[in-house]
Amino acid sequence: MKHYLKVRIKTTKKTDVILKLNKINVDIKYISYEKDYLVLDLLKNDLKRVKKYLLSYPVEIIDEVGLYKIKDNLKKHSLFFISIIFAIVVFSVLSHVIIKVNIIHQNKDIREMLKSDLASLGVTPLSFKKSYQEYEEIINTIKNNHKDEIEWLEIDVDGMVINVRVEERILTTPKEEEGYCNIIASKSGIITSILTSRGVPIVGMNDYVEKDDLLITGEISLYDEVKNNVCAQGEVYAEVWYSVKTKYPLNYTEEAKTGKMRFNIMVKNSTNEYTILKSRVKEKTVQKIFLFKIFNYEVYLEKEYEVIRKDKTYSEEVALKKALDNVHNHLSVNASPTKKIINEKVLKKSVKNGNLDIEIFIALEEQIGVAKPYTKEMDSDTGDTRNNGNS
Amino acid sequence: MRIIKNLQNFLLDQDYYIDIFNNCLHVYYYQELLTLTPTLISLKLKEFTLIIEGTDLIISSMDNHEILIKGIINNMRFER
Repeated sequence: MKHYLKVRIKTTKKTDVILKLNKINVDIKYISYEKDYLVLDLLKNDLKRVKKYLLSYPVEIIDEVGLYKIKDNLKKHSLFFISIIFAIVVFSVLSHVIIKVNIIHQNKDIREMLKSDLASLGVTPLSFKKSYQEYEEIINTIKNNHKDEIEWLEIDVDGMVINVRVEERILTTPKEEEGYCNIIASKSGIITSILTSRGVPIVGMNDYVEKDDLLITGEISLYDEVKNNVCAQGEVYAEVWYSVKTKYPLNYTEEAKTGKMRFNIMVKNSTNEYTILKSRVKEKTVQKIFLFKIFNYEVYLEKEYEVIRKDKTYSEEVALKKALDNVHNHLSVNASPTKKIINEKVLKKSVKNGNLDIEIFIALEEQIGVAKPYTKEMDSDTGDTRNNGNS
Repeated sequence: MRIIKNLQNFLLDQDYYIDIFNNCLHVYYYQELLTLTPTLISLKLKEFTLIIEGTDLIISSMDNHEILIKGIINNMRFER
């Protein structure tokens, strides 16, 4: 491609200049005539010859012509054009990027499940958006994978945010046959209340029952004939007696922090612990803060608090209270809503070898009914059923 | 335009062309520009000299084979 330049020659004798240029066979694409100038579009290769032959005329390049002018402009304003292109690229990339996947549902499990499924199918924050068809395929895949959990699913693209709306499928599964069971006593006691939701209660209020006695039967009878068998359900509360012997130490050590604290580094592997620095505190309690793990070694920052330990002695009243608390915890009185203390009495109390030995009687009201399954056998002669349980 | 002219020249094997347009004269295969004034331009061609008379005559484009003259052309003649 020919490279033309726009050249300005200062002259008042324009025709002479053109004749001279003609003499030296200069290729001039376009000539325009200005007041004191002749403006020519001439070949770059001819410029040297023009300057040589028109020594007395000032020749000045004023511009490029054609594609070279565009190229020159691009070069001059390269930074601007690069910025524009970069901005367009960044904008187009960002407009196709997901910054947030918003799963709209109250159930956290459904949200977590969908989040992991979408991530496995490539719908995650800072990933590229997909086409409508791809989202349709993703919806179908997730719905097929979770037929029992998802009723309806929609993916809505809102700018850079993906809103996933989901409707949970609630299945009303038929209740499975539980088999046949009786309610029997897990402990001996006096019945205080019976709440039967299925089956027939055998015992009444204030009845004394032994362990494994039948409380509620699963056999539904009419006129001494078993009509049906069910899994008995109900709650049977009874007063259960406990006699407990326990001891509690009267002496104990009390720790008090002095306010002095030192840092240390501890390295731990599967078998041993190594403290890097020598401990400068004699009596201490240590708080460990995990820092990092290298191969099989875990590195901890230790805060060593200096403490003063003092030996102290409980009074008998305090020791008794603590011993009773231990007994209550052991019997799960406070933890279980189905247990209630009816009566509590300390039968014996003595101090021996620095311990408080006590014997306590406790009467608890607690749920003693437990389900015990049984199989029914058909009587071949009569067609009646017979309970084959152990109760 | 030049491609067409070259093609025509190749096919017809002509020595020169002179095209007249509105206020414009295009001469192909001239040999020399003899005179150039706003009222007279003379061009040497192979067999004759082309003399163009008019007003405000200018050369708008030229190379060693062709030339484009613009202006009000009043008269054009050949001198052998």
